[in-house]
Amino acid sequence: MRGVELSAALAARFGDKFLGLDPFPGLVGRVRFDPSVARALFEYLRDEQGFVHLTMVGGIDWVDHREVFYTLWSDRDRTYLQLSADLPADHPTIASAVPVWPGANAHEREAWDLVGIRFEGHPDLRRIFMPEGYEFHPLLRSFPIHEPEELEVKARSD
Amino acid sequence: MWINMGPQHPMTHGLWNLRVRVEGEVIRDVEPEMGFLHRGIEKISENRHYNEVITLMDRCCYVAGMSWEQLFIQASEQALKVTPPARAEYLRVLSAELQRIASHLMWYAAFVQDLGLMTPFLYGMRDRDLVLDLFQSYTGARMTYEYMRVGGVRNDAPHGFTDQCRKVLDWLLARFVEYDQLCLGSTIFRKRCDDLGVLKAPEAVAYGVTGPMLRSAGVRRDLRKDRPYSVYDQVEFDVPVTDTADVTGRYLVRMEEMRQSVRICRQCLDWLDRNPGPVLADHLPRWLGAPYAPVGREAYLLKRNYPTGLGFSMVEEPHGEAGAYVVNDGGEHPYRVKFRSPVLINIWAAKRYLPGYRIADIPPIMGSVDVCVGECDR
Amino acid sequence: MAPMTLFSVADAIAAALLGLLGRLLPAGAAHAVTAPDVVLGLATVVFAAILLAASMLNTILLIWYERKLLGRFMDRRGAMHVGFAGLLQNFADGLKLFRKDTVRPREADSLGFWASPTAYMITSLLIFGVLPISTGWNDGSLPLTLLLALVIFSFAPLFIFLGAWASNNKYSLIGGMRSAAQMIAYEVPILLAVVAVVVLSGSFDLTTIVNEQRNYWFWAPLFLALIVFVAGMLAEMERIPFDLPEAEAELVEGWNTEYGGMLFAFFMLADYLRALVGSILVVLLFLGGWTWPSYVPSALTSFPLAGIVWFMVKTYLVFGLFVWVRAALPRVRTDQLLRLGWMRMVPLALLSIVLAAVVVAARCLPVLGCIPSIGG
Repeated sequence: MRGVELSAALAARFGDKFLGLDPFPGLVGRVRFDPSVARALFEYLRDEQGFVHLTMVGGIDWVDHREVFYTLWSDRDRTYLQLSADLPADHPTIASAVPVWPGANAHEREAWDLVGIRFEGHPDLRRIFMPEGYEFHPLLRSFPIHEPEELEVKARSD
Repeated sequence: MWINMGPQHPMTHGLWNLRVRVEGEVIRDVEPEMGFLHRGIEKISENRHYNEVITLMDRCCYVAGMSWEQLFIQASEQALKVTPPARAEYLRVLSAELQRIASHLMWYAAFVQDLGLMTPFLYGMRDRDLVLDLFQSYTGARMTYEYMRVGGVRNDAPHGFTDQCRKVLDWLLARFVEYDQLCLGSTIFRKRCDDLGVLKAPEAVAYGVTGPMLRSAGVRRDLRKDRPYSVYDQVEFDVPVTDTADVTGRYLVRMEEMRQSVRICRQCLDWLDRNPGPVLADHLPRWLGAPYAPVGREAYLLKRNYPTGLGFSMVEEPHGEAGAYVVNDGGEHPYRVKFRSPVLINIWAAKRYLPGYRIADIPPIMGSVDVCVGECDR
Repeated sequence: MAPMTLFSVADAIAAALLGLLGRLLPAGAAHAVTAPDVVLGLATVVFAAILLAASMLNTILLIWYERKLLGRFMDRRGAMHVGFAGLLQNFADGLKLFRKDTVRPREADSLGFWASPTAYMITSLLIFGVLPISTGWNDGSLPLTLLLALVIFSFAPLFIFLGAWASNNKYSLIGGMRSAAQMIAYEVPILLAVVAVVVLSGSFDLTTIVNEQRNYWFWAPLFLALIVFVAGMLAEMERIPFDLPEAEAELVEGWNTEYGGMLFAFFMLADYLRALVGSILVVLLFLGGWTWPSYVPSALTSFPLAGIVWFMVKTYLVFGLFVWVRAALPRVRTDQLLRLGWMRMVPLALLSIVLAAVVVAARCLPVLGCIPSIGG
């Protein structure tokens, strides 16, 4: 089984920073990891496990903490893998995946815009859908959905 | 000189902005700006029933509504642990493939118009209308279908539908020849499109580009083959690939995909003719059909037996690989829905495939990406 | 009896009108208004008015024709609802544009913004003054009408560039620059192709050129020149496949992006006027103008106004060819266009001049009997 192998390999490589591999039907599994090893984990998965393609990056607001998840695709095994890390709600920061997968650029900007997760090392971490200067991250549970809002759009400098 | 191509510009086919830095007519740098069509579909989904989200899916990508419905429904079914009957699966695949034809025809129309050709535009729209008529005959709508349900599809195809559908498919196959004559037969078309917007395989993979753009670069990746969902493992079809990685390659891949879709549709139609049966699962949780969220004691009782879980689904949408991740925490609404838009990522790679070409090349290149801003901005 | 020309018609109308006026006025004033100079002045105005009306009517008909023809190419019907088969649609469109505000961007240069469409329109109309439509159209006594027509025709890039610059819009500017580059590049092959015609006919006068085609039309010996001329005209008219200056896919509307309402209508009308001029020039230079070869039964060519009728039929057929091209071909790119112009069209045009010279020389062989046409 791919999942078991991967689990063993990750445990050997990352020790207690690798928090386990949950089963996920249809995927290899759901790797939970400590955000401190994010960058090393990405590089390891891409270079040595063949997960060359970053499919999506997103965040979930669990109110007491935030989760950031990555979905990877391996051309070799023709399968998906999901990564998941818990970030503290007051400081949701994780290393950017852009140096590993350039395609993460838009995904991470989206996660920053909508869920407010900061990606350190992202070349251009600006909002992607919401206007610059918007005060909310709309996909947070604290977003006031029933109140009308006034939106002030800042003019672009150039 | 920075030029804003958009948000209202004939090239954009939607509402986005491509900022282009040019020297003379040569592109030096580009920067896409999105968000003009952001409707917060992910946020709205968090406050709706699963079946109510389907309405949003049609609006997510308005030229490929069926594919997005299928995407969300598959993820939801996984999260809610519901299995649809086989006939529903075949109807879904049939719908998705018809949708692929319709979407590619729309792409064809828009793409050739970017090259200054008006005639194929009208041909493409004319033939797309036939497919939309088919949709209308069994979903009642031409663009926003709301056809698929968690646990199956809303209704079966009407009597005589399969014959009509076969007729349309035959007509389309004959028209595809005409399309090729109009485009590939034209020297100017080849001069404009060959070696244009080249994005080679390694870069395409690194940038996460999917769909016809990736297959035109020679990577044989099609989720329908590689990770068959629904009943794609029951039907025969080929995955077209070219290795030119240019606009002509994308044109060829899409044209061949339409032919393969016709093939899949025919197999589905044959199966549907032979196997009547139910199209909606029997044992659905009651709240899935409820028009409003149950309240009070009923909600509490229902909630006790809710399955919780995660749903993940990827489909080969006409534009590329679309993904949905549904987190079900046991409520009647999804806790979190995350969609992957293939177009957003394909556009974002423009930094790699646009610079070095000319302003006049932007419309055909971006046209070959097949931009649908609805799913980009969500 | 001198042949009835358009100017003689105008002169007669002016004389009749002034004579009528003179009868109503006291004798002294009557003498003043029927003075030959006054008649001549009014005749010029009437002449211009007839010309303007004819050319505008034809242009609007041309637009209708293009819409219908293009519709058929595209498997649809074109304009259908206003008037019979949509004949009045363009008048409705014109009326709509006429009623609209003409908005000038705040940053645009006022003078250039207003002046360039007007000048573009005027120069396009001017050409009709020198084009002979049939034997009786205008006096045709100018010796260099062909050159004059081409010179006026080539004013356009100046005004387009002026308008584009004045609009103060990046798309307009790029479109204007493209337009200037393209028109200047294609002036050369056009003129060279025209030289071939001149060599063959021995004259710069359009009437003479047409009369020289009594026996054979020039398209056969000068087929290369015809191709060059038609391609060049497509570029000059900015029609697909050479409509890069207003390539709507990338440049919105090119050099007339900022123009709306009547000013846009001016540009649009002038474009079609130029298309009409282009078709007319093709007919005049290569397709025998209003003449038919002598073996065509005379019943077909001798009814009243036969010249004008056949001329217009030919013109509309040539324009139909342009529409066909528009329906079938995609747009080329600027660099491809310019390369085509300089690397293909110019050599072809030069070759066609050589061919014309060969034909002229062959005509002077003793076997064929020398036809003294060069140098009169």
